Amino acid sequence: MVARHPERSVSFLGTHQMLREPMRTAESTDLLDKSEQQAADVINPQIDATVDDFDFAAFDKKESTFGYICRCLSELRNIKFALASFVINNLRRRYRRSVLGFAWSLLNPLLTMAVMTAVFSLLWHSNPKSFGVYVFTGLLPWTYITDSIMMGSQSLVQSEAFLKKVYIPKSFFPLVAVSTETANFVFSLASLMLMACIVGVQMKWTVLLVPAAIALLFLFNFSVTLILAIATVYFRDLTHIIKVGLSTLFYLVPIIYSLEMVPEKYRVLFLLNPVFYFIDLFRALIYVGEVPDLTRWAIPSLITLLTLMTAFYTLKKTDKDLIYRL
Amino acid sequence: MTQQIQIQNASLKFRIYRNRAPALKEAVIGLLTGKRDKDAVTEFDALKKINLTIRAGDRLGVIGLNGAGKSTMLKMIVGIYPPHQGRVLVQGKITPLIELGTGFDFELSGRENIYLNGALLGRSYQQMRQLEAKIIEFSELEEFIDLPIKYYSSGMHGRLAFSIGAIVEPEILLVDEIFATGDAHFVQKATDRMRHLFNSSGITLLVSHNLHQISDLCNRVIVMHKGEIVGDGPPAEMINYYVNDVAHLLKPAAAAAVAPPIEPQLLAK
Repeated sequence: MVARHPERSVSFLGTHQMLREPMRTAESTDLLDKSEQQAADVINPQIDATVDDFDFAAFDKKESTFGYICRCLSELRNIKFALASFVINNLRRRYRRSVLGFAWSLLNPLLTMAVMTAVFSLLWHSNPKSFGVYVFTGLLPWTYITDSIMMGSQSLVQSEAFLKKVYIPKSFFPLVAVSTETANFVFSLASLMLMACIVGVQMKWTVLLVPAAIALLFLFNFSVTLILAIATVYFRDLTHIIKVGLSTLFYLVPIIYSLEMVPEKYRVLFLLNPVFYFIDLFRALIYVGEVPDLTRWAIPSLITLLTLMTAFYTLKKTDKDLIYRL
Repeated sequence: MTQQIQIQNASLKFRIYRNRAPALKEAVIGLLTGKRDKDAVTEFDALKKINLTIRAGDRLGVIGLNGAGKSTMLKMIVGIYPPHQGRVLVQGKITPLIELGTGFDFELSGRENIYLNGALLGRSYQQMRQLEAKIIEFSELEEFIDLPIKYYSSGMHGRLAFSIGAIVEPEILLVDEIFATGDAHFVQKATDRMRHLFNSSGITLLVSHNLHQISDLCNRVIVMHKGEIVGDGPPAEMINYYVNDVAHLLKPAAAAAVAPPIEPQLLAK
């Protein structure tokens, strides 16, 4: 029926079976005896020995982490359409029944920015125009990170009903949550740039590099969210800890102040915070208008690589157990 | 390549947590004191060393009492529950008609839900584009298809769900207690469609308590009891075995309710 399965089914409903390995392989050696024994018990045995058209060797081989990641990605690619529909539906639902609809995702940050700018320029007597842009180049990535984590870490627990009824890769729902927030983030960034132009803050060509920063932050968010989503399945109380943790972390990231305002001896504390490097990247590209040097790209890239590896490793370790814990 | 399903020595157990989610606090305390509260978890063997070979052409009926492991076995074949032991190998694309309507979004229109549901069944956008018209036609919901499905009656809801699931020509069809809802006309139409699907797919697995349906549609039947396959053979023989031997394990009153008497001509077939 489906033409793209020439030899073995490669659809997301098909691939997992050939690679699904037993948790304990010791059993498979005495398999034949068992089935013969079983055959004696059943009334009309239909067990035959000629089961040679399956590639048992490939099935029993232990899968490498790299192979696992490839399989995860191909499974996700197979349901990219479902992914897109979920994200679009999420966005649509968020703004459904409001008169301005999608315009809210643009308006919301604009209004918040206006308020923040007014308040902080009164408080700290800084240049109101550029200060607003300064705050928002930090605040938007931060909101993106926290929203992804807040929504995404719940996603596996909340989609229990789905996961128990249809076969869906486990990373699907965290990915949906993070993708939805990514779309929101892109809208907000666009409106920030619009606002910056209106208040007269000059932007340089470096904003063209922003997509690269977004891609990096997306991968970081996805991996952190995935780890936390899996952890939340095992420890449900984690939700509350994450909430408190994130609100504490907010003050440890130079968003409403700058790193220069922090006393020298405490600065190293801020440099230990991975979130700082991502915000620094956006700030350099949008607010300062400079191309960050190689180390400023390399540090967030390395962090992302590390979290991604951890995320897939965690997923591989828990893949077969997760469904029983939901 | 022909379709085939191999289940070899597959066991699967559910853990029932008395304290539904193991809390972080307990895990930390357990780690510190070095002892774990063993009583908090009860293990339940849902499937015990299942061995089953299903070949192309098999229309396999699965019967058994409630909790015998029938649905769990289907979900294991689909890949939702990986076995704790043994292996499950599947050759061919599975079309599961289990829990129809999973993933329906009540805020979205019928048309949008066709795409969403199709996507969850692993179909591509292009495929759904081709199937859309057929699904709408089969469900007879042309007038309402662009309305949010929260305004649908439960019958319309069921019609849409059935149409999405049953419109493709499956290689391997898994059916779990499917009852088409709707008016008599649609039920008849759905029954015909199911019969067509049964005849056209390579392999069919049908879990049902309706023994008439089983003897009518299947050419092989397995009887499950407490997570084990206790019988495997031609429908008439197995239904007889199930009614006379397995259902007796229940209390008499309950057995009568589970296994209604079957007309002799059905068994004779």
